[in-house]
Amino acid sequence: MTARSTKGDEGQAVPGLEERLRRLDEIVSALEADGVELQRALELFEEGIAHVRYAEETLARAELRVEELLNLDDGSVGTRPLDPDEG
Amino acid sequence: MGAPGPRPDPSVPVSDEILSLDLFGNPEDAESDLPEVWTVSRLNRAVRGLLEGGLPPLWVSGEVSGWHRARSGHRYFTLKDDQAQVRAVMFRSDAQSLPTDPDDGMSVRVFGTLTLYEGRGEYQIVVRRLEAAGEEGLWRLAFERLRRKLDSEGLLAAERKRALPRFPAAVGVVTSATGAALGDVITVIGRRAPWTRVIVRNTRVQGEGAALEVASAVHALGRSGLVDILIVGRGGGSMEDLWAFNEEPVARAIAACPVPVVSAVGHEMDVTIADLVADSRAPTPSAAAEMVVQEGRALLEAIRRLPARMSRALTAAARARRAKLAETRSRLARDMERVLSPRRQSVDRGMERMERAIRNGLSEHRGRLSAGAGKLEALSPLATLRRGYAVPLDGQRRVLRSVRDFRPADTFRLRVVDGIVVGSVLEAHPQEGEEE
Repeated sequence: MTARSTKGDEGQAVPGLEERLRRLDEIVSALEADGVELQRALELFEEGIAHVRYAEETLARAELRVEELLNLDDGSVGTRPLDPDEG
Repeated sequence: MGAPGPRPDPSVPVSDEILSLDLFGNPEDAESDLPEVWTVSRLNRAVRGLLEGGLPPLWVSGEVSGWHRARSGHRYFTLKDDQAQVRAVMFRSDAQSLPTDPDDGMSVRVFGTLTLYEGRGEYQIVVRRLEAAGEEGLWRLAFERLRRKLDSEGLLAAERKRALPRFPAAVGVVTSATGAALGDVITVIGRRAPWTRVIVRNTRVQGEGAALEVASAVHALGRSGLVDILIVGRGGGSMEDLWAFNEEPVARAIAACPVPVVSAVGHEMDVTIADLVADSRAPTPSAAAEMVVQEGRALLEAIRRLPARMSRALTAAARARRAKLAETRSRLARDMERVLSPRRQSVDRGMERMERAIRNGLSEHRGRLSAGAGKLEALSPLATLRRGYAVPLDGQRRVLRSVRDFRPADTFRLRVVDGIVVGSVLEAHPQEGEEE
């Protein structure tokens, strides 16, 4: 399982959409479960709202990015934008 | 089989014929009277020419026997029916198109030309194409062989199938950059989930070497660390066009891929080996793209409904807490009641007993009292007075009992039943015998 940041580079592991939506699922079921403690419910609620905001921003993006995987000289890989008209 | 048997050397009449036609004859020899003597080499060369020129390329059916794959890559075998056999060779360049080697005893048909192997004087068929009888023939055989092999290694097991990420940030696509498949995938992802990043690894998907290229593309993109999931495929085509996806290198690359793989090979075949090894299979590249990304609009709507839902849950949690508090309180009250009520009953009983005791005690006293009152009545001086007695009292209301209490001229009062009489003493005489 690779948690993915939007940049793809290492460093701060910002949870991606997948992880946030999964977490949202957990939060909603935890909130709706019987016997959730009020203090805990408040914390879950706040966290959930943050994920909703992130997801809304992400999903609002309208432009699909298409790239091509290239072999770089140093043996690693890189990408470059793929022009759909090229092919 | 194999012995020449009753067949005489067929070259004799044939060469006679040829000689009479004078096709190969040496003009010098023809002039000679001596019977002409051929070398074996010449003979075979002549026969070879005859064979190669005399019959057009043709189809022959028979059973494969003694299939042998030489180090050179050429295949040698015997084609036979129940009465005859013929040697056959398939050169490497043609044999490469075979999906697999046929089994011995397999019914096949071959297309080729006849020739003579001069070194041995053996004639043979040079096979250009070989097809196994039955539906899909050798392809099916190759498919089944590889399937069995992979299955025995556990690579097709259902437990190996990984769940697909539901919202991949980046999707890898292994296909031809010039094929329709890539356009289909990009269109679908762009429509459904435009926030997704699509990373393509261009590869040939058919023709010689395509399987190795696809395999290395799966390897490179799968291990790039850039994608969460991989789509591997191509648009529809004939079975031969799709064959790369039935080859072992592709199967192994998919099985070893660190991220889940969706196979998407056009729909000419029921299933490809790539489909069997992949974590999920889609009938077309478009279908694979739909499988891999969620519909964004529905997702967005669902997410926008979440805050209200969460706040309802929060309210419910608060209400539940209040209700729980109330319930605790009432349970406490019930518990207290349970503990206290037996005691309360015994207290009640005690009280009743006490009351009863008091009541009983009182009535007893009251009885005694009235009895006493009767006696008291009997002792009352009034009754005596009523009978006619009177009581003398002095000024201090002391009872005068003896004659000595009466001195002459003293006044005294006489209490009679209905009043007081005042008198004075004239004389007082003690009663006889009562002195002492």
